[in-house]
Amino acid sequence: MLHFLRRRFLFFFFTYLISSLTIFFLLRILPGDPARVIAGGREATEEQIAEIREELGLNASLPAQYLSWARDFLRGEWGDTIAFRGAVNRDLIIERSINSARLALVALLLSVPLSLALGVIAGLFENKLPDILISLLTLSVVSLPEFVTGLFLINIVALRWGRSELAQSLGWWFPSSSAVRANASFAEMLPSLWLPAFAATLVMLAYISRLTRAGVIEELKRDYVRTAALKGIAWRTVIWRHVLRNALLPTITVIAISISWLVSGLVVIEYVFGFPGLGSLLIAAIERRDLLLVQAIAMVTVTVILFANLSADVAYALLNPRVELG
Amino acid sequence: MTASQHNLLDVDKLTISYQVNNRWIAAVRDFRLELQRGQIVGLVGESGSGKSTVALALMRYLSSNGRVERGSKLTFDGEDLLRKSNAEMRRLWAKRIKFVPQNAAAALNPSIKIGRQVTEALQAADGLESHDAYQSMMRIFHDVNLVDPERVAERYPHGLSGGMQQRITIAMALISNPELLIMDEPTTGLDVTTEAVILDLVRGLIAERETSVVYITHNLGVVAQLCQRVVVLYAGEIMEEAKVAELFQQPRHPYTLGLLSSVPKPGQSKGTAQLQSIAGNPPSLSRIPSGCVFAERCPFVVDICREEKPPLETLTDGRSVRCHRWQEITPTLNPSPIKREGLLSNNTPLPSLWGKGPGDGGGATLMRVTDVKKYFPVERNLREVLGRVEPTPIRAVDGVDLQLRAGQTLGLVGESGSGKTTLARVIIGLEERSGGKLELLGMDVRNSVRERSHDVLSKLQMVFQNPQNSLNPYLSVRQALRRPLIKLRGFSPAQADAEALALLERVNLRAEYADRYPDELSGGEKQRVAIARAFASDPDLIICDEPVSALDVSVQSAVLNLLAELQEDHGSAYLFISHNLSVVGYLADAIAVMYLGQLFEVGEAHELFHPPYHPYTEALVSAIPVVDPAHRTERILLSDDLPSAQNLPSGCRFHTRCPHKIGAICADEEPPWRAGEAGHLIRCHIPLEELSTLQRTLVLSDKAD
Amino acid sequence: MRALTVNRAYAAFRRTAAAQLRHPQSALGTVLVAFFLILALFGRQLAPHPNPNDQSHDARVAPTLDLGALQLGEHPFGTDRLGRDVYSRVILGAGSIFRIAGLGTLISVMLGSALGLFMGYQGGWVDEVIGRVIDALLAIPALLLALVLIGIIRNLDFAAGSWQAALADNVILLVISVLYIPVVARVARSTTLDIKTREFVEAAEIRGESQFYIIFREILPSVIPSLVVEASLRFSYAIFLVASLGFLGFGARPPSPDWGLMVNENRGGFYQLTPWALEFPALAIAVLVIAVNLMSDGIRRAVQKGA
Repeated sequence: MLHFLRRRFLFFFFTYLISSLTIFFLLRILPGDPARVIAGGREATEEQIAEIREELGLNASLPAQYLSWARDFLRGEWGDTIAFRGAVNRDLIIERSINSARLALVALLLSVPLSLALGVIAGLFENKLPDILISLLTLSVVSLPEFVTGLFLINIVALRWGRSELAQSLGWWFPSSSAVRANASFAEMLPSLWLPAFAATLVMLAYISRLTRAGVIEELKRDYVRTAALKGIAWRTVIWRHVLRNALLPTITVIAISISWLVSGLVVIEYVFGFPGLGSLLIAAIERRDLLLVQAIAMVTVTVILFANLSADVAYALLNPRVELG
Repeated sequence: MTASQHNLLDVDKLTISYQVNNRWIAAVRDFRLELQRGQIVGLVGESGSGKSTVALALMRYLSSNGRVERGSKLTFDGEDLLRKSNAEMRRLWAKRIKFVPQNAAAALNPSIKIGRQVTEALQAADGLESHDAYQSMMRIFHDVNLVDPERVAERYPHGLSGGMQQRITIAMALISNPELLIMDEPTTGLDVTTEAVILDLVRGLIAERETSVVYITHNLGVVAQLCQRVVVLYAGEIMEEAKVAELFQQPRHPYTLGLLSSVPKPGQSKGTAQLQSIAGNPPSLSRIPSGCVFAERCPFVVDICREEKPPLETLTDGRSVRCHRWQEITPTLNPSPIKREGLLSNNTPLPSLWGKGPGDGGGATLMRVTDVKKYFPVERNLREVLGRVEPTPIRAVDGVDLQLRAGQTLGLVGESGSGKTTLARVIIGLEERSGGKLELLGMDVRNSVRERSHDVLSKLQMVFQNPQNSLNPYLSVRQALRRPLIKLRGFSPAQADAEALALLERVNLRAEYADRYPDELSGGEKQRVAIARAFASDPDLIICDEPVSALDVSVQSAVLNLLAELQEDHGSAYLFISHNLSVVGYLADAIAVMYLGQLFEVGEAHELFHPPYHPYTEALVSAIPVVDPAHRTERILLSDDLPSAQNLPSGCRFHTRCPHKIGAICADEEPPWRAGEAGHLIRCHIPLEELSTLQRTLVLSDKAD
Repeated sequence: MRALTVNRAYAAFRRTAAAQLRHPQSALGTVLVAFFLILALFGRQLAPHPNPNDQSHDARVAPTLDLGALQLGEHPFGTDRLGRDVYSRVILGAGSIFRIAGLGTLISVMLGSALGLFMGYQGGWVDEVIGRVIDALLAIPALLLALVLIGIIRNLDFAAGSWQAALADNVILLVISVLYIPVVARVARSTTLDIKTREFVEAAEIRGESQFYIIFREILPSVIPSLVVEASLRFSYAIFLVASLGFLGFGARPPSPDWGLMVNENRGGFYQLTPWALEFPALAIAVLVIAVNLMSDGIRRAVQKGA
């Protein structure tokens, strides 16, 4: 166990190092001058470029630049935004991260139980009608790009049904638009959250449920299931006590991986719904060539994902007796 | 109703089918069985014979693509099992009919503690309160000789040895005192020493409880030692059924006859008799012949066998046989032993060649292995990292001295974990040795294959254990054989093609096999191709790592015969590794016994089956399940926990399990090598004369013919 | 001998095809993918208006497609607000998505499998280091990495005609390769690790075969089935990614007939005016992605059965 955790932690730090190097050097190894890019490309004057060069410490050696950049990131000094004049990157990112986290939370709360249930049912009824229906659902509806489902939800659910009398009488559950203030509270935001959250749910549904289904089918074939059944206990007990325990263990890891999946999905969904999260901020930052902001967003995202993976691994190790203790 | 009025289990006309690619294939046809209370019946068959299918059908637990056909009869204690509802079956499973599976490691739930898994069975059987259930569990754990039952109950299956896991599945089955026990190869995959212990345990437990048992196995020796009656199954049909003693003394069916004579008996060797073998392969279940299923491989086949299926005839006293010609076959029973020339090693006086002493190199020495070691490094744990301590490595091979003579076979035996395969891999160069020296014909042999010269590579070859993986599935037989000819013997492509065909002929495969791919070959045929490939470079030494252990008995003997023949023709030497002492005893001229990385005994093959033996060898020899019910040896039972190769016992490595341990000296000092007659060497603190008086002859050799 | 190998490949292909046909969903998927492939190859011949930016038509014409009467009409999918024929633009859009996704998949499968085979067979510290770097790269979300890469490269300043400029023009192809090479390498590596312990590889080592021979002649054939499955999976993700990038405005630039871009250009307020200009390209993306998924599902089933 200790051994396993030690390896995991080492891997975490190594991965973190590699990811941060990647994010940092993407700006350096590619041909071209980052100062010029930040200053505004071809139109920038030489003085402007020199000024930015000085400000960013681009005249120092590469390793020194990386170290000072990494130190600044860890201290929370992420620089001033260029894209949104007057704001500080850190405040902007924190505000948007909270919004994205709310969206992700609702999406996870919706998708994890739903997809586990669908996956288990499909696995238990392998190649029978429920399985075929669920497979068709997960494959066809759900493997669509997020922007297609997102636009569908906006145009059909929000714009068409949302303006019907029935929806009006239901009140806030049917928002006609998901546009919200970036600094709204969770309660204020909730009505606008569920539609994008539902779109994000669809992104993960197929992924988690198919892995769950495969896990259940694999475990059902194992010898210990026969042993349990031949003890004369009810089939229901065999499933709950023996099969699901082993089949659902790997899903912990799957959920952690799907968080990384969710991050990609959220970028598109936030853009489609005009939701003020980290993803839409990233797109704005790239469009406005705010490379410092892009770097900071990328680092924050990677940090979140790596922590999710690490905690999943630790949880898996704690729950799985096959990982040796001692 | 009293027990004597009907059989406990009554099976008749049982036909079981499986659905494969939308077709129903009858895997077992017209099976019948009558089992009285307290009886143990053995169900013997090779892979694909349908024996496990029968086991599951008796439990009424077929997989979803299987079904029992109409007209089958299956009654247990007078009740028709085929009409039972699932709930009724569950009650029977809980209490009266129990199943012991083959692979105990897979049959236990990896994420539930042993104690809970066992009490779950108890509660299903008796609905006991948890305190009472715990007490019963401790009693049954005691009955199956589990050491430290309280701690075992708290553990998960993966931390236990194979023997302990199997004890637990047996405990789980016996806990409700069932009337019927179906055991599906419960000792397959265990070491001989562990197998002996488990069989002994099963025999005792069953006798105490008067449980009826259907014991499924491929091992005729196990049947001979355990069962009263035996049913021989082939390609889904019963070939013969008889009392064990009758079957072994006088088999009536050609298949049974073939099976019995294809197993080498202890003491039998390639010098005294060639093994009988059954030609060909079992029929595919999707194309069952309309006549006798065995006709294609039967040496006694006549026209009627191919046209008409023989009925299962009942002879005197419940004995049955399915053969048109059973009456004619009986006289030809005992195949006379074939004397073979040029292979007898026991009439040539031998210099003392086997072992460590210097100066014993004769002119015939082919390879000399000196103090070879192979340590596998272990990753350090946190404390060792902090304390900068180097952890103890796994000492898989720890100082082995051996000499191989040209043209002869050295057998290497030991349990799994003894390091015998690692030693082989070090010699062939697939593992780099950690120390020691290898000399082939006086030349120094480099560590890894990548450093070895062309010359050394072509002189050393290997035949692997698993025929499934030893041929590349994407290369045809011709391609597999051409490559070593071109690479190691420098043949032109045209020469190589011709030579490939010649090689095929030498391993008794027709030329048309050249264009086949491995998935079109049976296991035995694949192993023949692998042997042909090993001989392609005309090597001086071939390492055979368990070459027949993955094959069925009827195919094994043909491969063993082939190896003996090729050796005679080519004069290659073999290092023959096996866990099966009978097989090694048949093929080897000399034998080395390995335990925890070291050799403990070396000697001429025939010497090894007589006292004095090393106590470990004695246990191995006594554990062989002999294919003769009249032959009951007193087993020397070893505890089934092999010490780890990382944490080796001090002094003599065998002292923790040794039945002849004499005292502190065994735990404190490494034992010396003691020399017996004709180069026989034993590494033990007990002098050889004393060992001789402690030990009895366990196996009678049939050398006195 | 070569003929035999070809026969073998043909037999494997026939087995795969037969398995596809046994499952109607996968057969449907394969047929649809073939249909889109034809559109991609012969789009200019098939489109009624081969110039995607021909604005000579009336703007905002509603679709004339009549499924009941099986008639296409003048503008089957209508015209957009600039008077461009949506039907022609959808047909012409198939080419770019197939070219970028297909080529990107091909590049990443070829380079990725070479890398994975080498790592897996070599083992040791080479494998350890590259493996960890791959793991670290995979921890960064694909879309994030893609957006950052495109965002940077697009904004760099290159002399026209230089190799950097050519690179920037094919930035999505580059991004797909960068994203998927590690994924493919990981699959190839793990299969190689499994295969290299098989005895037939050891038999080749005992003969003193070169590393090159062992990797490409002994190991590669057994790795190909899992690579085929991975390639089909990568292809579907690549289509997904190309469409998403187009939609976000990081793919093809206007006025090219890129499906994702067309969806983006016609959303919001324009959707009320010409819903068909958004709906038909969105439908095309949806159908193509589902078809590729169904097909790759069938391929996976066939290959796993054969294994």
